[in-house]
Amino acid sequence: MHDRYFILEYIDIPAGYMKLQFNQVTKSFGDLNVIKQFDTTIGDGEIVALVGPSGCGKSTLLHMLAGLQQPTTGILTADGDSVAKPSPERTLVFQEHALYPWMTLLDNVALALEFQDKPRKTSLADAGKWLARVQLAGFEDYYPHQVSGGMRQRCALARAFIARPKVLLLDEPFGALDALTRMTLQSVLKDLIEEERPTVVLVTHDVDEALYLADRVMVFSQRPATVLKEVELGHIPKTHDLTVFADVRREVLNLLGIDTDEHEPKDSQGEMA
Amino acid sequence: MSNTQSTGVASKRAYVAAIAIILFFWQVAAWFLPDFLMPDVPVALQRLWEELNSGDFYEGLGNSMSRLGIGYGAALFFGIILGLVGGTLDLVRSTLKAAIIILQSIPSIAWVPLFLILMGFGNLPIIVVVAIGAFFPTALSVMNATESVEKVHISAARVMGASKMQMLKRVYFPAVTPELITGAQLAFGNAWRALISAEMIVGFSAGLGKSLAYSGEIADMTGVMTNILVIAILAAVIDQVILERIKHRLLRYQYL
Repeated sequence: MHDRYFILEYIDIPAGYMKLQFNQVTKSFGDLNVIKQFDTTIGDGEIVALVGPSGCGKSTLLHMLAGLQQPTTGILTADGDSVAKPSPERTLVFQEHALYPWMTLLDNVALALEFQDKPRKTSLADAGKWLARVQLAGFEDYYPHQVSGGMRQRCALARAFIARPKVLLLDEPFGALDALTRMTLQSVLKDLIEEERPTVVLVTHDVDEALYLADRVMVFSQRPATVLKEVELGHIPKTHDLTVFADVRREVLNLLGIDTDEHEPKDSQGEMA
Repeated sequence: MSNTQSTGVASKRAYVAAIAIILFFWQVAAWFLPDFLMPDVPVALQRLWEELNSGDFYEGLGNSMSRLGIGYGAALFFGIILGLVGGTLDLVRSTLKAAIIILQSIPSIAWVPLFLILMGFGNLPIIVVVAIGAFFPTALSVMNATESVEKVHISAARVMGASKMQMLKRVYFPAVTPELITGAQLAFGNAWRALISAEMIVGFSAGLGKSLAYSGEIADMTGVMTNILVIAILAAVIDQVILERIKHRLLRYQYL
């Protein structure tokens, strides 16, 4: 399905990456303390997954990286510069519904370039190439509501990558998709990341997604978000067969409050789900 | 949306039936009343045909249409601007909205005496009254729509580096278009009522409203019914044909 030679035709040089640094970052909304003292460095070209219960504040971390929200205290930097506002260098892929329903898929992707004042003609030509790269050739003139959720997210990925971001931020990008489509899209994303090599921060509920895509997994507690554990996986080739990570997977799931112990058949009735 | 075609045919059929019923009741009334009180439908239609072949009719039509065009056009223009600005200003939005709701409840025709004295006897007071009638529904619909533009659409544009102007043109404007069109159709109804009644009162130079008022003054009931017929047909054509076409064109993506 993913013919690498076919894909390589379009590639010039990778866009490069950025180093991201959280320095004693906190965030509260009024009295609600969402993030308590967060410190970490995300290295050049590193792929980090943030996993945690919903509402724990991991999306807020991502929105701060995107520049959509500011830390209440502390400093957040990208390559040493304080992150004050959004920039096309740090792009964000949303869970769903972020494509514009009044534009065709082609226009949606081209828009990312047009917003950077690139001429419309070259933007459209580039957008066509990127749609082909996510296997959407032939769907240029379709509107988002005419295609499946999986195709919409492929288009969202094309729209994110076309601007050649140095940082790719993903906010539960495949959370609304069925399991099979999700795995296919994870492979598409993994290939794109390998080719473009941006720094990646992925927020997800899906532990398998984190293990499959990330070099490092950070597990968060309930709000206010604190890091329960960091797992270093390293940048190694992976497949969807995650049996090598069985121990890590069990540990992360346990931290998230999911029972993975093998029960005696007698007292496990109804608990295995 | 595959049944757009069939609902289109159904609504056309409904229109034909409605027109037949209205004309039937008119004709029944004409049978019971003497001719000088209520003309027969064919008599009125014949007068309409004569009018269509006379120059005076077109002078009045032209005057009315240009007043409508200027007043309605200005209302749409300023209504869209105020709606977009008001919808993005969180601090003043609720006050602005309350002000519009209060002002909207004043019938546009009630402004005529004020503007007649303020602006003098002429086209201007009629145009302003038309504009007032159309402005409030436009502004209100755009403001409500702006307020409810999806947050993720705004965030996505910011992340892609959109400037304020690009954001307005490529995100806010298309996002509010569906509600704007509904508002504009409502506004047209208001503008049309304001136009005819203002022309009837002000009576400055030829126009549909003046022609109707004049027929009434000389007790020419055939003229009255003919004028009413013209007013009804024009409104239906503008609303159901022209505005409806524009709507389908602008919202093409929704009908695919």
